[in-house]
Amino acid sequence: MSGPAYVDALDLAAGAVLVCAVVTLWRRDLRAIVSALSIQGIALGVVAAVLAAHEHDVGLGVIAGVVLVAKGIVIPALLRQLVRRDPGSRETAASINVSASLVVAAALIVVAFLVSGKLTALLPNTATHLTPIGLATVLLGFFLLVTRRKAVSQIVGLLLIDNGVALVAFLLTAGVPLLVELGASLDVLLVVVVLRVLASTMHRALGPFDLDQLRELHD
Amino acid sequence: MLLYAILCVPFTAGIVAAIVPWARWVGYLTTVANGTVLCLGIVLAARTTNRQAIGALDGALRADALSSFMVVVIGTIALLAAWQGIRYLGVEIEREQSSRRHGALYALLVQIFVTCMLTAVLASNLGAMWIAVEATTIATTFLVGHRRSDRALEASWKYIIICSVGIALAFLGTVLVYFAALHPVGRAIGSSSIQSHGAGVLDWTSLMAASGHLDPGVMRLAMALLVLGYGTKVGLAPMHSWLPDAHSQAPAPVSALMSGVLLTVAFYALLRFKAIADGALGIGYSRTLLVIVGLGSLIVAASLLITQKDYKRMLAYHSIEHMGLIALGAAAGSSLAIAAVLLHILGHGLAKAVLFLASGEILILEGASEIEKVPALLARRPVLGGIFGFGLVALLGLPPFSLFVSELNMIRAEVAVGLGWVAGISLVCMAVIFAVVMAHGRHLLLGGTPKSEASVATSRLVSIPLVSGLLACAAFGVLAWPLQPLLHAAAHVVVR
Amino acid sequence: MTATVTTSGLGASIVTSIVQLVMIVLGGPLVLGVMAKVRARAEGRIGAPIHQPLRDLRKLLTKESVHAEHSSAVLPIAPFVLVATAAVAIVVSPLVTTTPVLEHSADLFVVVFLLLMGSIVLALAGLDAGTAFGGMGSSRAMTIGALAEPALLVAILALSVQAGTSNLPKIVAATLAHPSWAAGPERLLAFVAFLIVILAETGRIPIDNPSTHLELTMIHEAMVLEYAGPELALVTLGEAMRLGFLLSLAASLFFPWGIATSTNPAHIVIAVVALSAKVVVIAVAIALLEVRTAKLRLFRVPELLTGGFVLAVLSVVTGLVTR
Repeated sequence: MSGPAYVDALDLAAGAVLVCAVVTLWRRDLRAIVSALSIQGIALGVVAAVLAAHEHDVGLGVIAGVVLVAKGIVIPALLRQLVRRDPGSRETAASINVSASLVVAAALIVVAFLVSGKLTALLPNTATHLTPIGLATVLLGFFLLVTRRKAVSQIVGLLLIDNGVALVAFLLTAGVPLLVELGASLDVLLVVVVLRVLASTMHRALGPFDLDQLRELHD
Repeated sequence: MLLYAILCVPFTAGIVAAIVPWARWVGYLTTVANGTVLCLGIVLAARTTNRQAIGALDGALRADALSSFMVVVIGTIALLAAWQGIRYLGVEIEREQSSRRHGALYALLVQIFVTCMLTAVLASNLGAMWIAVEATTIATTFLVGHRRSDRALEASWKYIIICSVGIALAFLGTVLVYFAALHPVGRAIGSSSIQSHGAGVLDWTSLMAASGHLDPGVMRLAMALLVLGYGTKVGLAPMHSWLPDAHSQAPAPVSALMSGVLLTVAFYALLRFKAIADGALGIGYSRTLLVIVGLGSLIVAASLLITQKDYKRMLAYHSIEHMGLIALGAAAGSSLAIAAVLLHILGHGLAKAVLFLASGEILILEGASEIEKVPALLARRPVLGGIFGFGLVALLGLPPFSLFVSELNMIRAEVAVGLGWVAGISLVCMAVIFAVVMAHGRHLLLGGTPKSEASVATSRLVSIPLVSGLLACAAFGVLAWPLQPLLHAAAHVVVR
Repeated sequence: MTATVTTSGLGASIVTSIVQLVMIVLGGPLVLGVMAKVRARAEGRIGAPIHQPLRDLRKLLTKESVHAEHSSAVLPIAPFVLVATAAVAIVVSPLVTTTPVLEHSADLFVVVFLLLMGSIVLALAGLDAGTAFGGMGSSRAMTIGALAEPALLVAILALSVQAGTSNLPKIVAATLAHPSWAAGPERLLAFVAFLIVILAETGRIPIDNPSTHLELTMIHEAMVLEYAGPELALVTLGEAMRLGFLLSLAASLFFPWGIATSTNPAHIVIAVVALSAKVVVIAVAIALLEVRTAKLRLFRVPELLTGGFVLAVLSVVTGLVTR
């Protein structure tokens, strides 16, 4: 793939990743948040696929497929189960209100843009220009993780960070070596499975819970 | 062959332990397996002390003096932990706190955990190293939550969330290093010494060779992310908050492994990247970063230790302190400093493992983890109390234990490179910690009114490994011979 | 690309600007009628004819004007200011043509501040009579406006970053010259932000309910509760003009095809038809959206608006990134 179609497709898919990140901060309904995450995973896979088509890189194509399936389908499905288990509390519990967090989000996006100047300067091209989007996704994920109290939204925050890192990896280097990338994806999948199991165990042990209830261990 | 064996032996033992329900002989099997790792590690160390690296699996595995030193440390602590694990699981099953199947899962996860750490230090590809470090998080989460109490689950939740975030940042840092390596500056494009695109770029040797040509702007960002990311796993401030929870809630042998080696395995990763970043940026940048996180950790540890009421948490904060000291030592960055850092890694691993294992035993016998509730240990349980007391002495850095030597050398090295003020602040923090731990220790060992019960003998299954651990720690403080050449060879790997 | 206003073209520009003004003055109320009709049909009613708002205006004009007892001069002046600011914005903006009169003044900031001025005057009028509902309405309207106006500004700013100018006619002209821009991610984001702003500025569901007279939920209606007769007609007309203006501006900025680039009468006729069609499509879409959604609780409204603001910021950043 080349020319304007390549540029447009890449812009659009990378933009979708960031918009989904904002939506996860914006919406309160956990189901909507998980759907946004799912779309983000698909968009991430599309980014990888577009890059693979552009560079004629079969390995990257394989990774694109793995990302699409793992982050677009499998992980959101696991999270949906978790949401469904607890129909009484489908809304996120935020420690600061949504408007304020959206304003912070806007600031974080600008910060990401400023920070990544160094990266794009080394190799200016269509793909590297988009790295601020990846960094912004990382920052938004971090912010979500810090300010939200529900187990599911914390997992979502973690996954946002991960997707952002993956996006940066795709854009800057067209993916780190195949083995490393596959290992990383597998690791993420395992982490989510572990978190999923842990969350159900906690659900059984503590009943429906906010992480605010996790207050026993502190100094 | 040697490297294969080091990875396969503990893993195979884990598989066996997973297949059969827990029994005492399985515990001995894992102990022997980890002992074998230690022996193989010593052989490996002997062969790499002459500053030659051993490779295997088409260069995917690579052992230089630094790796083999870490293998020795891992082998030692794993041996101690597995040995005491026999007693720990035995008691748990006896008291019906967990089933035999559960015990098998525990043994499997511990062995996977050990294998992951070994893989991390033996991987030549820094990306593969990252995967192995991340895998340790996954393996240990269930171990932290092994007891399935509310607190244990809470601790494991925090642990996996915070560490996964940290490790994701480290991955971002690794990606940036890879990016910088793909596009070297100050060198003709298509130069032969960098492979155009492939796994080789992230190999330690090629990165070290290319480190002078990595873009400084990208490397600055990368190193900051790596310090923050791997620093999370090391337990350095500001991302340390998982550590006291996880270390206090995990079963004692797991705490020993996590505190004794997992932290330093993550630090090992940081040392490797520091060497690369120093090549690109000069030593000043990573020194600044490490001084910030190191001093931060020391101050956090000193201020939070004061209010501790729980002896396992006290030990956990103590780990943060020692990681801070190690970070400061690495910040100094001279050959002397790195050698001292490595010795400190070994000494801290031994002392901390002994203390966590002893505290696990105290918890089994006394059923309480608050310092207030277990007074006058020395009178009631002389052997166990003695071990705990000597362990504390070792950890506080008093002679003859090796931590005294390593702390002294680190401070000397810091002063030598003009970080005297840092050394001063760290000495103040250490003095505060010394006073606090002495106060806690005094109560634990001597304080209160000893109840009129007779002194109780301690199981040999506990005393033998712990006493030998302490003896080893003391031996390394007095004797220079077997270790000194290895330490210098290892330091030479990451110092030019 | 940009046509300059020559002396000979000035007359034509004035004519087209007047066409724009007339179109919006008549079209604004009609758009309201269309939206009401669509809602009625979607709800299974027949609904009033689409020119019902115009009839209402005519009827209001014949009625007597009544002022509250202690009210000041602000109350009677406000409707005129509202209509006047909207009219100026309409005249200078590129709605039917890319060469309206005073095109160099048609800056993004000028237009946004004209709209802002209208909102502020109306809020002052709401406070003027000193009644509880007026004050409440003004306060709520200002809360929303404080979030919506920056979002509008930033959303258009995204377009001006792309086009390299903050002059609205030039932005439209540049979009015509680069059709591929219209599908870019920054455009999509800015468009969504713009739509949210339109909903807020014109008091539509899910932010406000234009047909409510339940005091506790009113925003806009509470503010203009004190008006009657011709002044109410002016306020209603002003609001309708603002709706029509924002919809047309959205249509011109994001989908400029069909807009007249010259003063050729044939082109202008085509442009009027094209603009009407585009506005009606957007209006129908908004009306259908209104049918499908419930009004947001008041304290959730800022979330929606800051969301719009963030989308606009995103759009600017994406624009800077992909440039």
